Amino acid sequence: MTDSSYQASMGKAEQRSQGELVQGTLDMLILKTLTRGALHGYGIAQLIQQVSDEVLRVEEGSLYPALHRLELDGVIDSEWGQSANNRRAKYYKLTPLGRKQLAKEASNWSRLAQAIARVMEMA
Amino acid sequence: MNKFLKRLRHRRQLDRDLEDELRFHLEMGSEETGDLRTARRRIGNVTAVKEACREMWAFSSLETWWMDIRHAFRTLRNSRAVTAVAIVALGLGIGADTAVYTIVNGALSFNAGIKDADRVFMVSARDTLGRNVLSRSDPSARNFRSQVGAVMNLAAYRYRVVNVIDKNGLPDRYTCALMSANGFSVIGRRPIIGRNFEAVDEQPGATPIVMLTNHVWQDRYAKSPSIIGQVIRVDEVPRVVVGVMPAGMRFPEDIDIWVPLAANSVGDDDPVMFGRLTDGITLPAARNRLDMIAKRLTEKDPSTFKGLEVNVRPVLMIYGVYASRPIFWVLLCAVGFVLLIACANVANLLLARSAVRSREISVRIAIGAGRARIIRQLLIESIVLSVAGGVLGWVLALCGLHGFDSSIMTKPPWLDLSMNTNVFVYLAAISVTTGILFGLAPALQLAKVDIINAIKNGGHGAFGGARGRHLSGVLVVFEMALCVMLLIGAGLMIRSALNLYGTPIGVNTADVLVLRIGLPEAKYPRPDDVVAFHRRLKTQIDSLPGVEEMAVTSNLPLGNSMEVTPEVEGAPPVEQGRLPRLGALVVSRDYFRTLQIPSRRGRFFSPADEASQSAVVIVNNSFAAKFWPGVDPVGKRLRVVKERVPQPWLTVIGVVPDVHQDYQRPLENDPLIYMPYALETQRAMFIIVRSRIQPEKLANAFRKEVQSLDENLPVYDVSTLGDRMAHQRLDVAVVVALFTIFAAIALLLASVGLYAVIAHSVSQRTREIGLRMAVGGTARDIVWLIFAQGIRQIVVGLSFGLAGAIALARVLRADLVGVSPSDPITCLAVVLVLILAGAIGCAVPARRAAHVDPVVALRCD
Repeated sequence: MTDSSYQASMGKAEQRSQGELVQGTLDMLILKTLTRGALHGYGIAQLIQQVSDEVLRVEEGSLYPALHRLELDGVIDSEWGQSANNRRAKYYKLTPLGRKQLAKEASNWSRLAQAIARVMEMA
Repeated sequence: MNKFLKRLRHRRQLDRDLEDELRFHLEMGSEETGDLRTARRRIGNVTAVKEACREMWAFSSLETWWMDIRHAFRTLRNSRAVTAVAIVALGLGIGADTAVYTIVNGALSFNAGIKDADRVFMVSARDTLGRNVLSRSDPSARNFRSQVGAVMNLAAYRYRVVNVIDKNGLPDRYTCALMSANGFSVIGRRPIIGRNFEAVDEQPGATPIVMLTNHVWQDRYAKSPSIIGQVIRVDEVPRVVVGVMPAGMRFPEDIDIWVPLAANSVGDDDPVMFGRLTDGITLPAARNRLDMIAKRLTEKDPSTFKGLEVNVRPVLMIYGVYASRPIFWVLLCAVGFVLLIACANVANLLLARSAVRSREISVRIAIGAGRARIIRQLLIESIVLSVAGGVLGWVLALCGLHGFDSSIMTKPPWLDLSMNTNVFVYLAAISVTTGILFGLAPALQLAKVDIINAIKNGGHGAFGGARGRHLSGVLVVFEMALCVMLLIGAGLMIRSALNLYGTPIGVNTADVLVLRIGLPEAKYPRPDDVVAFHRRLKTQIDSLPGVEEMAVTSNLPLGNSMEVTPEVEGAPPVEQGRLPRLGALVVSRDYFRTLQIPSRRGRFFSPADEASQSAVVIVNNSFAAKFWPGVDPVGKRLRVVKERVPQPWLTVIGVVPDVHQDYQRPLENDPLIYMPYALETQRAMFIIVRSRIQPEKLANAFRKEVQSLDENLPVYDVSTLGDRMAHQRLDVAVVVALFTIFAAIALLLASVGLYAVIAHSVSQRTREIGLRMAVGGTARDIVWLIFAQGIRQIVVGLSFGLAGAIALARVLRADLVGVSPSDPITCLAVVLVLILAGAIGCAVPARRAAHVDPVVALRCD
């Protein structure tokens, strides 16, 4: 149920443009971003965009459902705090479980990326 | 789980937080780009994002389901008329379906109290002469029996009707099985109190005993455990009650008591053999083994086992439930059709309402409801509707079954009208399935609604259009076609019934009382005793006031006949065992006068014939026509061959018209012989009395006369001949009644369906009609316009229906009497009925169309 609605919120195939996230990687990116410390949703989206030199753009329509799901899964935690411009904002941070999950996903990802690279570099 | 409940309690807080979180995001975005609208565009439909987040909270799904259900109730309440019509239509369909399913389910799960009934079989092994080899007692037959015993555990029973006398009430007539001691272990049941039959009970000289069925124990002995050990008299033999069998255990057939077989094995009928397959053997394997045994024996000993054939039939066959199976399926199909018509009808109603709802739906889509969610919402609505229909259907089914129960007098043993779990599962399943079935098309249609147009036009024209109307039309055609098939089925059954009831039986059934007396062998050992008893009874009865005539017979009209193999003198010789099997009745001399059967030729039996036991016989018209065509049969001779032994010649003294004996084939008259009662006396015979007063009033006087001759004789099966005749044809009457009810419901639903569609299209075409009138169209043109639409649908539905009916009516063939499955008169009548119903369905909307005021119509919105 969570999975299918997540995919549905990733948007229709014909709308997929350059820089759209590979399915299933959004979770990993969110977790990675949060290793820098607590952040609000807007900050997470901005950070991903900046670090990736504007290549990866997170659709807000899928960001928030993903955050809520991760929170329910217990890999991130949230609390309300003050933003830099003194507004009430919801900050997310990694839980110990989240760190473990990230480590697993990161190693999976690097294995997958290397494998794809090897195939693509085939002479 | 705890977390979940906590969230459920604080869900309003969570909602507010989500709101805040998203607002913060928008503010940050607009600050950065300096433009709220760009930020909004980037985030997309905020409601949809919220909805997606809420879905992440596990309870949201629960909550939305609940919301959808509440919304469904609101919507249905708001359109009361549509809801009511839909629920009634569904209730009728589901009710009829559930009622028939209850009967079918009861019949199919009937097992007569036999454990693992599918492993118990009736077994017969007959040679070419039709002799039962299994029950013979010579050594080779015993050898055969022991070989068969390796495949199945064999037991035997013989059927008797007995008089039971005890201190607990009036003498009563019971059906009794003489059963071998292992019979109950083959059935797989043990007595609930007392002991089982044991092998010693079969030995000569053993104490006579009796086993009771649960219903006899309950009705006659009020479930008293002290009945065990008491003595009751069964056909004048004192027997000790040794046990009571569990409730519902009735084998064979409608049995009341059992006694051990060997204790009373005199009698000329073969015992019936039955057996349970040995563990681990499948039926085909068992059949193979039995065939092999038979073949080996025939080869080894051709004189004793000539053409031996072993026949194995399921035990439940004897209860008649197998024979009724085809008609079950036909009825189940018929009610299935009714339900489909109801579905199509409701689908049409919902389609018509779609036009009104398209605006609501469009708004909901526009503010962020997903299409899947819309479809779900609409399906929930239709399921709520169909479940309500199911509840009504359940009530209707209960009423219907109650009515059915009280309208049939003789119930077959397998008839079980109680609703068990199976029935409720079926009811729930069809309720939900019909909801999805009729809801899907309108839901898909609505979810595809063109939002922009719907909102702009306030609902008019956005939906429906050509495609919606086309779908409605198809549904109506479908309804009409199913309805035609049901009507034709009903028509054929009605024609059959008319043929059945319209054919004269050949006797005057009015004012005749029928009853039975069985004379026990212990008290009336010789045939002469029986004859003497009947003669004394006749003298007494004939002198009763109001009695015109009394006679004795072995079979009643429509009550089948005994089977004999007659041989006509002078006919070319026929090989043994190939003589035709024909019907015969044993009657006393007044039989023909009592039933007012006239004489065609010659004379009836005379008192002198009866007194001197003269060798005379009377034949019916068909017999005379078959064996002596164009010749006067009086004076010719025939004889009956019994077990290869020809009996003395009998001289034909008279010919009588045909009387129907075989009620299953009422249009055919079979050759029949009437044998004089004095020659072929039987112990249990029908007594028929023609009275000058109401026959029921004679019954008590009659009982008194019998008791004065023998106070221990029960008089049973008392009824009038007219009632009995009606009973014999009851199954046909029931099928006809059911079919007619189903077809009537179908016709009603289909014509309401047609009406609804035409009326809806008139309301949608108001403007067009106004325009037509404004440019000079007359009321007649408009009426014709509306009728043309209806007639097109009727004609298409009719042609599909007729084609389907002709293809399907063949399954009814076995139940039809004197009418072909493609009977043109029935088809014509159905066409007329349907056109009439359709015309009524069209007339109301057409009238309304003709009264459209062009000024108002053109001004509307």
